[in-house]
Amino acid sequence: MAHKDLREFIEALDKAGHLVKVKQEVDWNLEVGAIIRKACELEERATLFEKVKDAPGVRILGSPCATYARLAVAMGMDAGRPVKEIAKEFDKRIANPIKPLLVSSGPCKENIIKGKDIDLFKFGVPMIHDGDGGRYISTWHFIVTRDFDSSWVNWGMYRQMIHNETMMGGMLLPFQHIGKIFQKYEKANKPMPFATAIGTEPLCAVAGVLSPGMGVNEADLAGGLRKEPVELVKCETVDLEVPAHAEIVIEGHVLPGVRVDEGPFGEYTGFSSAPRNPRPVYEVSCITHRHNPILTVSNMGMPVDDNDIITNSSFRNVANSVLAGLPVVDVDVPAYGSCHLVVVSVRRAYSGIAHHVASAIWGSKLGSQAPYIIVVDEDVDVFNLGEVIHAVVMKCHPVRGVHAQPNSPGHALWPFLNFHERHWGQAAHLLLDCTWPVDWDPNIEIPAKISFGTSYPKALQEKVVSNWGKYGF
Amino acid sequence: MAREYDTYTDDVSTIKEGVEITIAIRETDIYRTRVVKAIVSSNKKALPDGDTLWVRYNLGPLRPEPWAIKILADVPGLLIKKAVGDQ
Repeated sequence: MAHKDLREFIEALDKAGHLVKVKQEVDWNLEVGAIIRKACELEERATLFEKVKDAPGVRILGSPCATYARLAVAMGMDAGRPVKEIAKEFDKRIANPIKPLLVSSGPCKENIIKGKDIDLFKFGVPMIHDGDGGRYISTWHFIVTRDFDSSWVNWGMYRQMIHNETMMGGMLLPFQHIGKIFQKYEKANKPMPFATAIGTEPLCAVAGVLSPGMGVNEADLAGGLRKEPVELVKCETVDLEVPAHAEIVIEGHVLPGVRVDEGPFGEYTGFSSAPRNPRPVYEVSCITHRHNPILTVSNMGMPVDDNDIITNSSFRNVANSVLAGLPVVDVDVPAYGSCHLVVVSVRRAYSGIAHHVASAIWGSKLGSQAPYIIVVDEDVDVFNLGEVIHAVVMKCHPVRGVHAQPNSPGHALWPFLNFHERHWGQAAHLLLDCTWPVDWDPNIEIPAKISFGTSYPKALQEKVVSNWGKYGF
Repeated sequence: MAREYDTYTDDVSTIKEGVEITIAIRETDIYRTRVVKAIVSSNKKALPDGDTLWVRYNLGPLRPEPWAIKILADVPGLLIKKAVGDQ
C-alpha cells in the first residue's frame, strides 16, 4: 500500500523505529546539515526537525531514504528485508508502470504565493556544508520539465541553489535529460518552464532519480513503484503538472542564454568537486505549499546517503535492461561506490564476456555515470561487497585483468578528473575482469575454491549445520 | 555596525582594488546574493569605514585574511556571465 503523502511516510518511519524527532530549535546555518551528515555516516535514522530557526511553522525531514530499511518502508515493505529482496521488488514494480491521474486540486494548493510575496528564504532552507555556494533548497525533490517538441515530461532530481528571493541556480549537464531538453529551448531562445516538487511521497522522488530512456515519463514509473497512480494537479503559472500532495511547489522558467555563478556544493561523490561556475538560472513565478510545510533535505557526502541508496536501485535497473540477453546472473551498484561502480556476475559462457558486459553498460546512458565495472563469476554474490573485493584481489590479474578505456564521456563532478577534464567531461573507464578465463581447464588450471560450501561433501555440510548448536555455537 | 560579505575567486588579481567595480557578493547572514558597485581593498586599513569581505576559492575554502568593501550602490538583478564549463 503506497503512502498518500510525505506525512504518512513520516508516520510509518516513526512506527518502524526509523525516525528521530528533534524538538529543540536548530539553526538552518550548518547545524541542520551537520546533524543529517553525522546521522548518515552512522547509518542512523531519518531526522525530523520540528523547530527551525527563522522559519516558524516549517519542519525539515533529513535524509528520507538514506538506508535500505527506509527505502523498504517507503515501498510499504518490512524494514528488515534483505537488500537483494528489496532490489528484486523494486525491479518488479518498475516493470509495471501506472499512468498518473489528473485531479482538480490538492494539499499543495493550500497556500499560493505570487509576485512580490515570493521569498525562497522563508522555508528554513539549510546551508548544508561549510563552503557551499549558497543555500540549496532542492536536494530531495524533482524538477518537472516538458520536452520542447514532444509531450514527454521529465522528472529529475537536479540541485537548486537560492540566489535571492526569486532566483535559483543549478547545474544542467548536457547528458542529463533536463540538459538535453533545455538545449532545445535555449536554441529557440525560449524560457523553459519548470516546476520543482519538494516533499512528495518518497517514491515520487525516487522516480526522479531513475534513468529511463528519453521519452519515458517518470510519473508512470512512480505509479509503478507505488502500485497506484500518482495524483497530479496543474501548476498556477506554467503548463505543467505536479503531485497534488507535495509539500512545496516552486514554479517558473529557466532563462535562455543567462548564466550566473552557482556552486560549489558538497555532492554525491563525497567531495565538492565542481567549482563555482556560471550556470543556468531559474526565475520563480509562483510558490505553492501546504500549511506548515515540510522541507525534505538530503545531505550528500561520504557514503552512505540517500543518493547512494536510490541510485543503487535505479542504476541497477538500467544496467539490468541493457544487459538483457547476456549470460548475466546478477547486477549490483554498491552503495559505497556512490553509483560509480557496477558489479556484474556472469555465467562462464564465452571468452571476452567481461568486455561484452562493460561495452553494453558504457554504450548506454550509464556510460557517463559509471566509470568502474567489475565482472565476477556467478559464485560471487554481487550484493556482498566482501566477496567482490576478494574476487578483485584474487582473480583479477593486475595487468591482464585490468582494462582501461580512455577518451570516454565523463562527469563534471568526478573528483579524479583534473580541472580541464571536468570542464569538458573528458574521462576514462575501467573494467576489472575477475572471471576465470574460459580457456583455463577447470581440473588443471582453475584453483579449487576453499569455503564451507565448496570444500566439504554435501552430507557433511548438512550434518555440521544441523549440529551447529550442539557444538556450542 | 560593520556587516560581512563574501565572494569567490581563485585569482585575487582579477579583483581590482581601490577603484569602483561591479561585484557579486553574498550577505553571510542569510547567504543572499547581491550585485553591487563598490570599492574593495585587500588592506582593511585602506577602507576604514568599509565592511568585511571574505574571499573564498571557487571550490569553497576561505582565504584567511579578510578584505574590506565599501558598497556604493546596489545593482538590480544578478551578475550575468558567459557560459563556460560543465560540458
